[in-house]
Amino acid sequence: MSNPILEIKDLSIELDDGRQNYNLVRNINLKIEKKQKFGLVGESGSGKSLSSLAIMNLLPDPLKIKEGSILLDGNKDLTKLKKKELLNVRGNEISMIFQEPMTALDPLFTIEHQILEVLRFHSKYDKKQMKELAIEMLTKVGISRPAQVLKGYPHQLSGGMRQRIMIAIALICKPKLLIADEPTTALDVTIQAQILELMNELSEDYETSILMITHDLGVIAETCERVAIMYAGEIVEETDVVTLFKNPNHPYTIGLLNSVRSLGDRTKKLYSIPGNVPNPKEHQGPGCRFASRCPNRMSICMIQDPPVHKIGPNHISKCWLNVEGEVAYG
Amino acid sequence: MDKKMILEVKNLKKHFPIKSSLLRKTVGNVKAVDDISFVVHEQETFSLVGESGCGKSTTGRSILRLLEPTSGEIFYNGENILNYSKSSFRKLRKDLQMIFQDPYSSLNPRMTVEQLLMEPLLTHNLASKAEAKQKVIDIMGKVGLTKEQIQRYPHEFSGGQRQRISIARALITNPKFIILDEAVSALDVSIQAQIINLLIELQEEFKLTYLFISHDLNVVKHVSDRVGVMYLGQMVEMTDTDSLFEKPLHPYTQSLISAIPSDDPTVKKERIILKGDVPDPSNPPSGCPFHLRCPKVKEICRMVKPAYEEVEKNHFVACHLYSKEVLKEEDLTLVN
Repeated sequence: MSNPILEIKDLSIELDDGRQNYNLVRNINLKIEKKQKFGLVGESGSGKSLSSLAIMNLLPDPLKIKEGSILLDGNKDLTKLKKKELLNVRGNEISMIFQEPMTALDPLFTIEHQILEVLRFHSKYDKKQMKELAIEMLTKVGISRPAQVLKGYPHQLSGGMRQRIMIAIALICKPKLLIADEPTTALDVTIQAQILELMNELSEDYETSILMITHDLGVIAETCERVAIMYAGEIVEETDVVTLFKNPNHPYTIGLLNSVRSLGDRTKKLYSIPGNVPNPKEHQGPGCRFASRCPNRMSICMIQDPPVHKIGPNHISKCWLNVEGEVAYG
Repeated sequence: MDKKMILEVKNLKKHFPIKSSLLRKTVGNVKAVDDISFVVHEQETFSLVGESGCGKSTTGRSILRLLEPTSGEIFYNGENILNYSKSSFRKLRKDLQMIFQDPYSSLNPRMTVEQLLMEPLLTHNLASKAEAKQKVIDIMGKVGLTKEQIQRYPHEFSGGQRQRISIARALITNPKFIILDEAVSALDVSIQAQIINLLIELQEEFKLTYLFISHDLNVVKHVSDRVGVMYLGQMVEMTDTDSLFEKPLHPYTQSLISAIPSDDPTVKKERIILKGDVPDPSNPPSGCPFHLRCPKVKEICRMVKPAYEEVEKNHFVACHLYSKEVLKEEDLTLVN
């Protein structure tokens, strides 16, 4: 078997500004295979966006990677690359699209300038070829009148169109991995359906792997093959998408699925997980980070952090309920 | 089935003028809400759904006269509240409350929970200071906050708790009618479920009527008795929740419902993917507002705006496909 496109090993991210020190992401392990669509799910503050920023080495100060490695193609450790080498990776081998396409595009430059900027960095085409490629790319992402759109500015476009432009910019160098951080959260449902379909089609065409970061389980069910669930900076469960929805293991995953599924049945009370999503200050102590909200809490959960158990082929869960299972790591 | 009507909106219009940059002359209008009518019955939840820019929030704000409507009538308990003077409308405002999407920006960061919750009581002269204090503590219990939190400031709370404060603030004047403008959209899934449960409990306990404005169809399906679907400032379909989700008639509603991501990865849903974007409301298309994106567009849709009619009992649709008028054969040929 060939190397995975991306392999994250024991990644921990901490906030350290000299006065305070919090651990925000702890011991993340994941593998994304070639052409795979991988979903990373979690609520706000679960560390899903931080993990993706760490892949691109874009963590803002005072956040730092404390330990761990991020291997691209099995050999390049992204955490150890020099600045210049990183520039070669970003936009070329890994690209990223964000939630809010308006803030991700520069309002002062034309669409043409922003698309060609990527090519100027990463290709040896002359200007005419670059422009042809840009027009071809815009047609691919479903923009009619691409020549006119190229001359325009971001504010002249609707939210859906801007997200299409972002996808065009991200995919123009045929990257190996596309990180999509809540790509459809700011969009309307009918536009969301368009964009998800477009991303699916293009990733097939370009053989690009996708890391889809979202809080919306519906989006995951529609697009992904494998899923990892994050809670309070840790991956609590990881498996293929069918198993996740049919046979979830971790109490947090079960709670999330229940609260989504009971929507629509007005005769019953909506299932809800009690309590609040903890902030990083609250979960620094020993024990499982979900324990205070967990319906299946046992005494061990409060004092000792559970290891990650292997509970099936390709299915791991970080919970003391699986104490009989084989320990995968942790 | 004949429940008492609490709110009736008739032919409501809200147009925002577009001024030229030089002489401030009005050069056009954004028809944010263009001639919509609906009724809300006592103790029910009526939802307005639609995509961004369809006018659902403008409708909500017009009812509370946070925006003065351009024309139309709004009856609350049989009286046209648009004829009220400012001062008499203010007296009515304790009955009509609103909860907004973003609890981060709708609570004054410099006021404690106690001050925030007492303010409406004191403004409306509903209680003396001592009584108000007791009422604040009571209402905090109702929405799931503890009285130890009374002296805290909004930034000390999480998003879900802040939305609880907003709900308490709306409830404290004993209102009858609450407009919830995307009240749960900014919350995480696990917190959203808590707040929805709370809203439903409070509705039963205080016999409240909700106007629920949202773009999230799953949530709407869960909370509503009846739903109105808006597109480009107009109501395109309105009926009770079950018929809307089981048998949507308008092509726009059909595509909206088909676009909801399913939560079962083994079922691939038959999708109706719409072409293009919502048109510019300052320059709406002729004929049916939806005809540019409609998968079932007919010749007539380009020219004539469809009437908003009751095609089945309590099921209103504005679409030529269901029009009662006899249409000519050539009008109904499918164009493409």
